[in-house]
Amino acid sequence: MKIWRYVLAVVMLCGIALALYVAHLDRIVTTQFEGRRWTLPAQVYAAPLELYAGEDLDAGDLEHELQRLQYRHADQADRPGSYSRQGSRFQVNLRAARFADEVRPATLLKVDTNDRGISGLTDTAGKEVAIARFEPMLIGSIFPIHGEDRIVVTPEQVPALLPAALKAVEDRNFDTHHGIDPLGVLRAIWVDLRSRQLEQGGSTLTQQLVKNYFLDSRRTAGRKIQEALMAVLLELHFSKTDIMTAYINEIQLGQDGDRAIRGFGLGSQFYFGKPLMELDLAQVATLVAVARGPSYYDPRRHPDRALKRRNVVLGLMAEQKIISPADAQNAQARPLSVMVRGSGGYYPAYLDLVRRTLRRDYREQDLTEAGLSVFTNLDPRTQELAEKILERELTRLDRQRKTKGDPLEGSVVVTAPQSGDVTAVIGGREAGFDGFNRALDARRPIGSLVKPFVYLAAIETGRYNPASIIQDVPVDIKLPGSPDWKPENFEHDINGPVPMVKGLARSLNLATINLGMDIGLDTVRHSLQRFGIEEDPPRIPSLLLGTFELTPLDVAQLYTGLANGGFKSNLRAVRAVLGADGKALKAFNLDVTPVAQPDAVFAVQMMMEQVIQRGTGVAAESILPTGVVVAGKSGTSSDLRDSWFAGFAGNAVAVVWVGYDDDRVTGLTGSAGALGVWDRLLTALGPTSISSVMPDTLHPVTIDYQSGYLPAAGCPSEPVTVYVPLSFTPPTAPPGCTMFGGAQPGTQPATPQPSLLDKASKWLQSITHH
Amino acid sequence: MARVFRARQLQPLCVLASLGLGLSGCVMFREPVATSPPPVTTAPGTTSPGSANPNPAAPASALPPPAPPPVTAPPSTRQFRLGAAATALVAQAHRQAAGGDPQQAIGTLERALRIEPDNPLLWIELGEVHETAGHYEQAGGIGHKALQLATGDPHAQSASWHLIAESLKARNRNAEAAEAQHRADELSPQ
Repeated sequence: MKIWRYVLAVVMLCGIALALYVAHLDRIVTTQFEGRRWTLPAQVYAAPLELYAGEDLDAGDLEHELQRLQYRHADQADRPGSYSRQGSRFQVNLRAARFADEVRPATLLKVDTNDRGISGLTDTAGKEVAIARFEPMLIGSIFPIHGEDRIVVTPEQVPALLPAALKAVEDRNFDTHHGIDPLGVLRAIWVDLRSRQLEQGGSTLTQQLVKNYFLDSRRTAGRKIQEALMAVLLELHFSKTDIMTAYINEIQLGQDGDRAIRGFGLGSQFYFGKPLMELDLAQVATLVAVARGPSYYDPRRHPDRALKRRNVVLGLMAEQKIISPADAQNAQARPLSVMVRGSGGYYPAYLDLVRRTLRRDYREQDLTEAGLSVFTNLDPRTQELAEKILERELTRLDRQRKTKGDPLEGSVVVTAPQSGDVTAVIGGREAGFDGFNRALDARRPIGSLVKPFVYLAAIETGRYNPASIIQDVPVDIKLPGSPDWKPENFEHDINGPVPMVKGLARSLNLATINLGMDIGLDTVRHSLQRFGIEEDPPRIPSLLLGTFELTPLDVAQLYTGLANGGFKSNLRAVRAVLGADGKALKAFNLDVTPVAQPDAVFAVQMMMEQVIQRGTGVAAESILPTGVVVAGKSGTSSDLRDSWFAGFAGNAVAVVWVGYDDDRVTGLTGSAGALGVWDRLLTALGPTSISSVMPDTLHPVTIDYQSGYLPAAGCPSEPVTVYVPLSFTPPTAPPGCTMFGGAQPGTQPATPQPSLLDKASKWLQSITHH
Repeated sequence: MARVFRARQLQPLCVLASLGLGLSGCVMFREPVATSPPPVTTAPGTTSPGSANPNPAAPASALPPPAPPPVTAPPSTRQFRLGAAATALVAQAHRQAAGGDPQQAIGTLERALRIEPDNPLLWIELGEVHETAGHYEQAGGIGHKALQLATGDPHAQSASWHLIAESLKARNRNAEAAEAQHRADELSPQ
């Protein structure tokens, strides 16, 4: 008798323990699942492409953009995300989209084009539309390190085929079971035994969800029991629709480095580049196949396995009358059509800039969990062109120089001159690789990129203008506690008196140092500070040759100010941030601050144009489209380590750095290395001429480029137009053309026939730098 | 042609202003002059560098065609207008501002500026919204930017000076504000 009481007690205790355990699990299930709060990484969007009559976007460009955004070409643009085309006329069914400033439903738009671009937009009623835009392209999300990334979808955003396919393949009694399905297990064992492979799993969708949602991946008997109990509890508390939606948002569909691809919403973007709702039958079946084993059936790494499994899925769907056998066969004949990874759409260097911008205002946790939408200024077209051209030119340089060992590295930043919008950031040669972000982190000596600011500061003193004669003669500067500083010109030449325009165009070190020492180092430093340099350059004479270090992004800040006519706009990667509820949290407004005299900046811009016309940037002349006026400056650090070129057209500022990460000698000047990337990129972007208008305080004068005198009859001359104050008239050439090769009063003798030397070196550049 | 200002035949901005539901400080422009100004041409006295500068050291075949003059003197009169897309966005911005949402209006005007970044009229509109939103320093900077772009267009120059004057006044820099307003008045059409 006694023993029974013990047994009873033990049974009761076990029962109580079990009840407590179940209650514990129940609390976990209800509390954690109730709120169903997935951590929602901030979604980051590119700038949307605007559409308006008069836009420079012809039929070919438009179709290219439609393909970039994965619009489906169809006879009828009857669904959002599709378009039709008849010659130059398009019908585009724009997807519903949330912008920083409005929510736009799906819209059917007629777009007419001609050879100049878009000629007209009309709506379905035939009414003219002034402006419309594509949805902003999702370019990534800010997920925690070793984290999960997902795009949550609601039941309305799920194609009906998806839950049907999941049930058919994974859990055919889903609608009726209570979380576990013993019969299903038996059937799965039977099927798998018969086919001698794992075709069917025994877990219900609910169990799979529990495993993904609450448990780690260990497989033990204890886990299995816990999983089953929780599955039953989940079914007790929640509807089938809730469970299916949770499954669709939770299940892992891939791995991208440290980032787990969770849910079908993101899976659809990750593999097909479009919203889940727009997937066709074959694509839905592919995702269902991948859900079975995201690494085993990875459609990029194991396309054969994925394809085979997809066709099994399609077969099962037909077998269970979800689709017709004919549809299944059609879909089975289709290729996987998965986007190639690295074919664009992933811009880690730009995302890095976005993340750093947001870190000033948001906690890391808000970025990775709060479901923010981040609207950026990234222009996918600019970004992709910059990536492609950088890689191509670096390959060409490597081959040309037959360098042994490591290939060259490079970085590009592109901005919009009038707003400081950052439209592209390339952090390295392998742009799709999330590694060292040179655009933001590689601090390198900027070399002669500093010189426009020296000349600008000089003109701002009122004592100089582009026609002023400066002395390209040796300097010997005493430095306390160190040997005298005796720099030379790059070509070891001495040009004597030269007009300022030549000093900058030829990037003459000696002329620049003499000029800079005359106006004072602090004058130059203040100019750089106003244009937005983060750290003051050291107060030493060599700053005039750019021995201090900046990142490509820093240089872009400085040069955007020059391009913007002496107005500083803080560079902006982010336009606006919206909360998960769609409310605007923060806008990063365009700001402009005058930081230099507009007429002085204009004069410098025009001198920088001469850099391209006849100076160190002359190799760009044959690349750039004829008749387009651009301005730039080369930069080379000592011993040919860093090769820079920075400059601008009317619609873009571009900064290019080429070099080695370990600071080795590249043997490249700015003209021989970075310039080839810069001019090709600008050309590909469709540059417009710099749009500056001459201030009414200046007038153009034509002087001889070599001497600075007015061109004289009978003397050889190389006329160049410079912009000088209204009161200034350049000196008339002395009789007998003595300014060429002849000594001038008060100056050191110039080298014989500098103009010939100039021409020879220019010719040399033109053949070596192409 | 270095700089071609595309003068489009469009609604004058005063129509927009009326759409703006009384938004204060809206830029008012008169009917455009009967003939739109001719496309900008070579500045008087400017020698086209390309035509006068064949480089004798380079082989003839490598010579680029004559480059156009880099920039031009502003014609004594020109009149900026807005394109259709920018016009629609300005009207939308006016509605947003009148509806008490200057931030939305700023976003819309920045959208227009991405289409016509060199049009001073858009900068003036943006500056006015910042001014009403109390961003006086921003408004002042934008006024100076507008002024730079407005060279040659007395109407736009006057409106720029007016914006600068307003932003100075709001910051209690009254002497400078009076000076700026004086310039605005000098330029404004009688």
